[in-house]
Amino acid sequence: MAMKGFTRRIKPIEILNDEQFESIHRGTLDVLENVGMRIEHKKALSLLEKNGCHVDHSSRRVKFPPGLVEECLRKAPSSFRVRARDSKNDLIIGGNTVYFGPAPGKQTVDIDTWEPREATRKETYDCLTVLDALPNIHFLPSYTPYFGFEDIPPVMRIPEICAAKIRNSSKWLFEGHSNDCEVFVIQMAEALGIDIMESVLASPPLTYYGEAMECAFRLAEAGMPARVLTGPVSGATAPATIAGSVLTANAEIIAGVVILQLIRPGLRVEVKDFTFPQNMKTGAPAFANIGVSLHGVIFNQIWRRYGIPVGMTTAYPNSKVSDSQLGYEKALIALNAALSGVNLQLVQGSVHGELTHHPVQAIIDDDLVGMVGRFIEGVEINEETLALDLIAEVGPIPGEYLSKAHTRKWWRTEQFLPQVADVLTYPEWLRTGKKTCLDYAREKMEEILATHKPTPLSPDQEKDIETILEDARKFYKGKGLM
Amino acid sequence: MEETMGEEILKKLEDAARAYDEVACAALAEEAIKTGVDPMKATNVLTKAMEDIGEAFSRGDLFLPELIGAGSAMKAAMTPLNEEIAKEGLHKKGIGTAVIGTVLGDIHSIGKDMVSTLLIATGFTVHDLGIDVKAEQFIAAIKKHDADILAMSALLTTTAKEQQVVMEALNQEGLRQKVKVMVGGGAIDESFAKSIGADGYAATAPEASVLAKKLIGEE
Repeated sequence: MAMKGFTRRIKPIEILNDEQFESIHRGTLDVLENVGMRIEHKKALSLLEKNGCHVDHSSRRVKFPPGLVEECLRKAPSSFRVRARDSKNDLIIGGNTVYFGPAPGKQTVDIDTWEPREATRKETYDCLTVLDALPNIHFLPSYTPYFGFEDIPPVMRIPEICAAKIRNSSKWLFEGHSNDCEVFVIQMAEALGIDIMESVLASPPLTYYGEAMECAFRLAEAGMPARVLTGPVSGATAPATIAGSVLTANAEIIAGVVILQLIRPGLRVEVKDFTFPQNMKTGAPAFANIGVSLHGVIFNQIWRRYGIPVGMTTAYPNSKVSDSQLGYEKALIALNAALSGVNLQLVQGSVHGELTHHPVQAIIDDDLVGMVGRFIEGVEINEETLALDLIAEVGPIPGEYLSKAHTRKWWRTEQFLPQVADVLTYPEWLRTGKKTCLDYAREKMEEILATHKPTPLSPDQEKDIETILEDARKFYKGKGLM
Repeated sequence: MEETMGEEILKKLEDAARAYDEVACAALAEEAIKTGVDPMKATNVLTKAMEDIGEAFSRGDLFLPELIGAGSAMKAAMTPLNEEIAKEGLHKKGIGTAVIGTVLGDIHSIGKDMVSTLLIATGFTVHDLGIDVKAEQFIAAIKKHDADILAMSALLTTTAKEQQVVMEALNQEGLRQKVKVMVGGGAIDESFAKSIGADGYAATAPEASVLAKKLIGEE
C-alpha cells in the first residue's frame, strides 16, 4: 500500500526544444568541468579526487569530468518508495506521480490582523493535526508547519519540529539540516523504522559548505533518502537570466547528486530547484514572480530527462493576506509545476512567502491542490465514458440525463468537489450570511480539531523520541549552543 | 587651458559614475590626480552623482543593480582620490564613518555588501570588514577609524547571538556610548535588536541606509 497522490495522465508541458536542452545540459557539464565547485569538506574532496575529479586542495575547488557526472546521474534511482509511520502513507516517488505537501512558514499569522508572530507549541500541534487530516496533503516537508515555536532554542528547532510532525501525523516527512541535527533526525527515523529524507543544501554560487557535506555523508551512510537542493537568488547569487540561473542551479545540484552516488551508489535522491529572482527594490527574494515558474518548469523538464525525481520552487505568494493575489500566485505556480512533471510540490498553507503559514490557509489551498490534481489526471475516454448508447437512448428533448444511473456513477469523479470554496447560488449565499471560503475554512478547522485524531505514537515510540530529544539538548548544551 | 582640461576630466568622471563604469572611474580618477585636479572637487562631483542616483532609487526609477553598480564605480574612483586627499593633508567632509561586517561564524555576504554599498552611496566613509568577523576585529576597527556607526549582519539563528558578544565587548571597551549600533540579516528582527540593546534594526538595505542617517542625526 502507498499514498495514491495524483497521476499525471497528460503530456507534460515543455519549454525547451531538443537543441535548447542540449545547450543547458552541455553548459552544465562545462561549468562542472571547467569552473568547478568549491567544496569545504576534506572527506568529500578526497572521495572526489579518488574518483577522477581534479581537486585543488588549497582553494577546495573541484572539477568534475563529464563521464563521471553522467555515470552518477544514471546510478540514482528513477523512482523509489519511502516509508511512513503508517504504511498506507508510504510514497512511491517518481514517474508520473505528483504528490503535494504544505508550504511551511517561519511563523504563524493572525488571520484577523494578518500580522506575523511566533506560534505556540499548541498551535503548532493543532496545525499539524489539520495537515494530517487534509486529503490532498501527501507528506510533511522540512520546517513544517513553522521553523520553530515559542520557547525553543534556535538549535533545537529542527529536532523539535521533526518530533512534532512524528507525534501529530502518520504522513511521511522530511527535514532540513543545521548544526549536526541530522544525527538526531536519523536516530528518530531508525527508532520508528521509517525514512526521513533530509536536505543536502548547496550554497550558491557553486559552493557546498562542510555542514551540508557532513549531512550528505551521514544520510548516505544511514541509507536515508536525500533531497539535493539549491536556493539561489537570480541577480544576486545566480545570473539574472533564467537560462543562466537554471545552469548554475543545475551544476550545484548535480555536484550534490554525484557526491551522494559516490558515497553510496543507488542512494534515493530527489532534487529541488528553489530559485527566486531578487526583488530589486529591497534585496529580498521576489516570491511568486512568474520567472520562478519558468525556471521550475525548465528544471522539471531537465530532470525528467535525467530520470531523477524532482521538486519545484514552492508556490510561495508575495501577498500578506489571503486575497486574490495570494490565490492567483499560488494557483499559477502549482498548476505549472504539476503540468510540467514535478513529483513533489509544496503549496498548502503559506501566507507570505516562507515567512508565514496558517492551517486555515492550508484548508483553502487543499481545494486548489484538488483542482490541480483533478486537472492533470486528465479525461478517461472509453466506451462507457463516451456514452454513445446512453446518448441514443436519451435522444433529444424531452430526454434528460439527471435520472440516469450513468450520471450517478460518473459525475463525482468527473467534477471536482471543493471542501470550502463558495459554490452557492446568490439567494443561498445571501441567506447564509455572505460567507467566503475563508469563513468556511475557519469552520472546517474547528471541525477538524474537534473530530480528527492523528494516529498516536505507542508509549515506547514516544519514549524513544523524547530520549533522542533529550540527547540533542545535552549535545547542544555541551557545545555551548543553548 | 589646464582649468578647461580639469573641467573636462571631471565631466568624464561624473559621466562614468552615472554609467556605473568602475573601470573608467578608476582610470579617470588617476588621470585627474596626474593632471593636478583638486581631489576634493573630484570627490564632490562623485558625491553629487551618487546623491542623484540615490534619489532616483527612492523614487523607484532605479533599482538595486544600478545602485550597487554606482557604489562600485564610486569606490573605484575614491580609492586613489582618498590616497591623494590623505597625501595632501586635506580634510574630507563626509556625513560619518561606519564599520560593517557579518559576525563570527557566519559567511553570508550579499546582504551586508548591499548595506555597505548603500552607506557609501549615502555619503558615509565605510570600512567593510567582510564576513566571519570576530568581536575584537570590530572593536579594533571602531577605534582605528573613529567610527560613528557599527553595522552588523547575521543570517543564521545560531550566529545572531554573536551580535550580543560584540555588544558586550563594546561595553567592556567603554565604546558603547561612542558608536551607534545597527543590526540586520535574515535571523534578526526588531525585538531581537532591542533585546541586545542595539540602537536600530533594518529589514532591507535601503532601510538600513535611512536608519544610519537617522542614527547620526542627519535626517
